[in-house]
Amino acid sequence: MTGVTEARAARPETEPGLVHQGLVYGSDDEFLAATVPFCLDGLDREDAVLAVTTDANIDLLRQALGDAAGRVEFVRAEEWYQAPGRTLGAYHRYVDRRTGTGRHRRVRVIGEPVWHGRDALETAEWTRYESVINIAFADCPAWIVCPYDTRTLPERVVADARRTHPQLVAGPAAHASDHYAAPNRAWERRLTPAPADGEEARMSFGTDLSKVRVFVAEAAAARGMAPAGVQRLVFAANEVATNAVQHGGGGGQVAVWRSGRRIVCDVTDPGRAAAPSWYLGYLPPDPRQERGHGLWAVRQLCDLVEIDARPDGTTVRLHLNLT
Amino acid sequence: MITRDSRERRIQDVDHGDHLCLTFADDAERRRVVTAYVRDGLERGERVLYFADQSAVPEVLGWLRAAGVRTAPALAGGQLLVTTAEDGYLAAGAFDPDAMVATLVKETRDSLAAGYTGLRVSGEMGWALRGVPGGERLGEYETKVNQVFADSPASAVCQYDARRFDAAQLDDFDRRHPRAVELEPLYSDGLLRLVPSFRSGRWTLRVTGTVDYRTVDALAAAMESALDWPGDVWVDMSELEFIDLAGVRVLAHVAERLPEGRRVHVANLAPLLCQVVGLVGWDEEPSLIVTPREVTA
Repeated sequence: MTGVTEARAARPETEPGLVHQGLVYGSDDEFLAATVPFCLDGLDREDAVLAVTTDANIDLLRQALGDAAGRVEFVRAEEWYQAPGRTLGAYHRYVDRRTGTGRHRRVRVIGEPVWHGRDALETAEWTRYESVINIAFADCPAWIVCPYDTRTLPERVVADARRTHPQLVAGPAAHASDHYAAPNRAWERRLTPAPADGEEARMSFGTDLSKVRVFVAEAAAARGMAPAGVQRLVFAANEVATNAVQHGGGGGQVAVWRSGRRIVCDVTDPGRAAAPSWYLGYLPPDPRQERGHGLWAVRQLCDLVEIDARPDGTTVRLHLNLT
Repeated sequence: MITRDSRERRIQDVDHGDHLCLTFADDAERRRVVTAYVRDGLERGERVLYFADQSAVPEVLGWLRAAGVRTAPALAGGQLLVTTAEDGYLAAGAFDPDAMVATLVKETRDSLAAGYTGLRVSGEMGWALRGVPGGERLGEYETKVNQVFADSPASAVCQYDARRFDAAQLDDFDRRHPRAVELEPLYSDGLLRLVPSFRSGRWTLRVTGTVDYRTVDALAAAMESALDWPGDVWVDMSELEFIDLAGVRVLAHVAERLPEGRRVHVANLAPLLCQVVGLVGWDEEPSLIVTPREVTA
């Protein structure tokens, strides 16, 4: 158990901030060697313990933990990892609820993201999500271990795990990752190409955002989006356009098209003074705060959100799945 | 595009057949409604009967004159009669709904026979609280009188002072009227209307239209006014077309600032927006109660 102690030494007990570790494993035994002591030690210390992982790993963990499994919360990864913004929101609520009552001083999470079946855009955004965890939960009393299965994952996903996690777990031990890249400019990138199926609808807008709402609603519906999705997109696009009108160039352009199984909506603000960070809206808002809830809500309502800040303007790209 | 609620009617839109309840808690508001109602009636060639109770007769005439209504010729010619409830509803010494209904039928007929285009009646109903014999039959009367107005060239506005009747009484009388007088909007432009109303025994802010960055300050100001209403603050969103996050935040902030024991109820909010309240963590605010709009399939 020396490695676990090492990991804790990096974050003394008096500073219960975030510990975010990648667990790169290639066998069931390697998975259990790290996660079983992690859970048992957590339960001993009265930490809340949550395990979000594959069905197979849930079975393995339950068996290995025996009676203690009853005190661990298990969630299927497919249910938990649906959209980066929403998953982050779910983690925030989990941490707040478990530590808010004072019963648990800290939460421990096994969080195994879903990579199977993701396209290039989703893979890129879930990778950025893993990076953003480092700032979104920086001050949270959370210890998160993210398993990566080398038997099934593409090499590039595993390589990125070494870049997104400050520490890596090997067996029961943890060490600093040599490849770690902090969530700053290293994770900035241009918009992922989203080729249009059929015609793109485009309009310029000024101060009357009701025109934007009507335009987005009609364009999305005409491209096959159901009413519930249309409402989400309209709400999200209105928030981004409001930012452009109130804090940017006083207007901008909005474009809507269909790309595969998604509706894509670009809101471009040509005149933003200060370029926003790509991770804007990932950091949880304080409900009492006057501003800054907009992009948080946008990320919760959309399936994927890209922010591309350039000297000549900022584009916020909203992606909503059609089903 | 703002659509209007069918039950509430602006005083200037009152027409033959209407029997409206005016629940008010503000004398200026009552005076505005009564003045418009009487003036419009006189201008349309209708005969107007006014039964004062809490107000003195000269006071009512004073309001009318102050608003530019030429009362003297109307009074002299019999087109306008301002009297007291004692001499109207209670002239027999007790209140008898059937006798009063018969009186109204007769007054309508007489008005038409005298060449008027119809009849308008408005009464201050506070006398019912003084324990007059038959006063407990006021509700029965309000129901019966619906038939008098329904198919005749006549209308009525019954005035209930919310500072004197209790909420259960007000709710009961309100329900016996087919329509209610729409109170003066706290805000109204082409995008948004914010109208106070008395509904289901409580004061409610009805939000109609769109709240976005252009109208959010109006919503904030109206919510400030609503804080002066007694009890919980009710906000009816059934006629809301769109509200953005800043608008939802206004509701949450007002709720947060309410004194212990009072709450903000946001009713009939679109399901998506209920979800938004949760996304941003405002569902943790115990004094903000949000109920979703019934979705009609």
